[in-house]
Amino acid sequence: MANIERFKKRLIRQAVQTNLDSIEGRRPRPASYRSHTLVVAARALFFILVPAALFASTIVVSNMASDWRGNKAEIVSVQLEKPTLWPPQRSRRVVPSSTASNTFSIPEPIDPAVLPLALRTIILDPGHGGDNLGTVAPEGLVEKEVTLDIAERARDLLQQGSYTVLMTRDSDQSLSLRERAEFANKNRGDIFVSIHVNWIANRELRGVETFYLGSTDDPYLEALAARENQQSGYSLADLRQILQQVYAGVRQEESRRLGESVQEALFASLYSVSNTVRNRGVKSAPFGVLIWTEMPAILAEVSCVSNRVEARLLMTPIYRQYLAESIVEGIETYSRQLSQVYQVADAVDEGSNEGSKRLHD
Amino acid sequence: MPWMKVAMKVANDFMTEQILNLGVDLGTSRSSVSSSNGVRQAVESYVGWPSDMVARKVLRKDVLIGREAIDNRLMVDLYRPLERGLIKEGSQQDALAVRELLRHLVSLAGATPDRHDLKIQAVVGVPAEALRVNKQQLREAMQGIVDSLMIVSEPFAVAYGLEALTNALIIDVGAGTCDFCVMNGRYPTEDDQRTLTIAGDYVDAHLHRLIAARYPEASVSQHMARNWKERFSFVGSPPEIIEVTAPVQGRPTQFDITDQMKQACEGLLPAVTETMLDLISRVDPDFQERVRENVILSGGTGLIRSFGLALQGALDQIGGGRVRVVADPFHVGSDGGLALAMDAPASEWERLAA
Repeated sequence: MANIERFKKRLIRQAVQTNLDSIEGRRPRPASYRSHTLVVAARALFFILVPAALFASTIVVSNMASDWRGNKAEIVSVQLEKPTLWPPQRSRRVVPSSTASNTFSIPEPIDPAVLPLALRTIILDPGHGGDNLGTVAPEGLVEKEVTLDIAERARDLLQQGSYTVLMTRDSDQSLSLRERAEFANKNRGDIFVSIHVNWIANRELRGVETFYLGSTDDPYLEALAARENQQSGYSLADLRQILQQVYAGVRQEESRRLGESVQEALFASLYSVSNTVRNRGVKSAPFGVLIWTEMPAILAEVSCVSNRVEARLLMTPIYRQYLAESIVEGIETYSRQLSQVYQVADAVDEGSNEGSKRLHD
Repeated sequence: MPWMKVAMKVANDFMTEQILNLGVDLGTSRSSVSSSNGVRQAVESYVGWPSDMVARKVLRKDVLIGREAIDNRLMVDLYRPLERGLIKEGSQQDALAVRELLRHLVSLAGATPDRHDLKIQAVVGVPAEALRVNKQQLREAMQGIVDSLMIVSEPFAVAYGLEALTNALIIDVGAGTCDFCVMNGRYPTEDDQRTLTIAGDYVDAHLHRLIAARYPEASVSQHMARNWKERFSFVGSPPEIIEVTAPVQGRPTQFDITDQMKQACEGLLPAVTETMLDLISRVDPDFQERVRENVILSGGTGLIRSFGLALQGALDQIGGGRVRVVADPFHVGSDGGLALAMDAPASEWERLAA
């Protein structure tokens, strides 16, 4: 299904480009599919031939040198290294040699059911604050105010559901990302939800997206993470390095599930308001605040102030309440999923007990 | 929370500029529009201006469109402004007629001139091999009527609407043109498309000639021949004896036109078959079988009885295949255009501002 949608998008882009070519008097472009195939083939050939040629020339040179020295050393085995340049890798920052030289085996994933996480304490983190305004919309809307208001509304709703809710800030104060994470860790939060509003360069777009901890190769996400992480004092390369140590395991899996619940609830609510809202999905990205927290953690971009209509709606308290209710709905869905995991686990236990009873009988 | 959803929707709609997406199929004989507000309309592509002051007084209209223009053809200067699905070249009046027709289609879709709050985005289908100059003429005709315009080939719009985006051959047999388009996973290029200028009109004219030759005493107009074709056309074995009534020196008389109908309709087959087989033979050999199994016949003239079966029979020459006939050929193009219009993101529409 997603493939068809992607395919349709590509067709539309090509149709629009053909129209623009026609308007500007350019000749129709040759079939992009073919040219793309040719380019791919040419690149593949390049990346296969060049290493092979280099290797062959090395052998020839070493043979010549051996012959010149009068040595008749025989090459016993020749093993071409598999070319690793395809697909071409984007340039990355160099990982410090100390880390690069260490090799770790990839941890086996752990079934979340073996680590039951009861949802009691929820940490809400209204993004930005104090000197850090966050995104500022031309309509005068400031991200730090919007996130605080939505978080307060979500807190009130969650408290009605007998959760303990703590907020990293409940006023207009500056907090570093590390301070936020430390607050969450110190108070032994079960989950951490950081609330932000987005800015999308294409101001026609409206969408919601949710992030959990992980790496990314998407330049857009790198830019977004860098923007959100700018107060941490760390560079993206540093964060990547830290990420290697906390990467795998249950926390990431649980964060993803929490992210999916919140994203689904947010999108369903917003889509029922306007069908122009896009589901930008649940993605992994190295946001600092998600790295230092020790519990399942997500960062939700619950709205985007870059869109004029969205910004106007965000200026109304009722819309903020609506967003808060959607976030709470997502958290509650996640909570229910957890209890289902326990029920399954209990049922398995009972089943195994019965089985053992029968064996005894 | 339901009340809050409703309130938010109302607030959102209030703050949002209303967008009306349209798919338009400009046909030589019939044009249709499908709109995002659910409207689907088709009109005959005729425009008429009252021929004098008396006619204007009787008709009480400055311009008549579609069936109304045809029914009052004796009192109006009647134009069929689209030749082969394109604006007739060199006639200022035909250009004006296309503009009136487009304005009418857009207003049928709910975008009346007083709806200043509406932003209209339209996808218009044109024959596959329409020249750049034709498209430019169409853009000029649409200026001021829509806010953004995307022109696509008619069979592509059909393919998009039916989601036949890969390994498919669309044959759109209209009145003015017969358009072919192979969909092979990309926006169709010139190599993937073909336009024949023999189509429904050719059948009408051929039928008219054949009847005139067989029954010289009968007084038959081309308009009558077209009506008979639309009711009785077929290829292959005649499903019934076709008897029609035409005046002979003013007296209504019955004539059997079965043979003439068969001959006229089958006159279309060789060119369509040849082009279909040629296009399939140019597809990558690995995919030819899939394309043969996915031939889609659309367009009003595609409704000629057994036409699809005849094409399917022709496919046997190259290993067999399947031809499916679109159930609603009059809206399939505009529906496809509408699907494109609705799927295109706002950023792309911005680039196509008319």
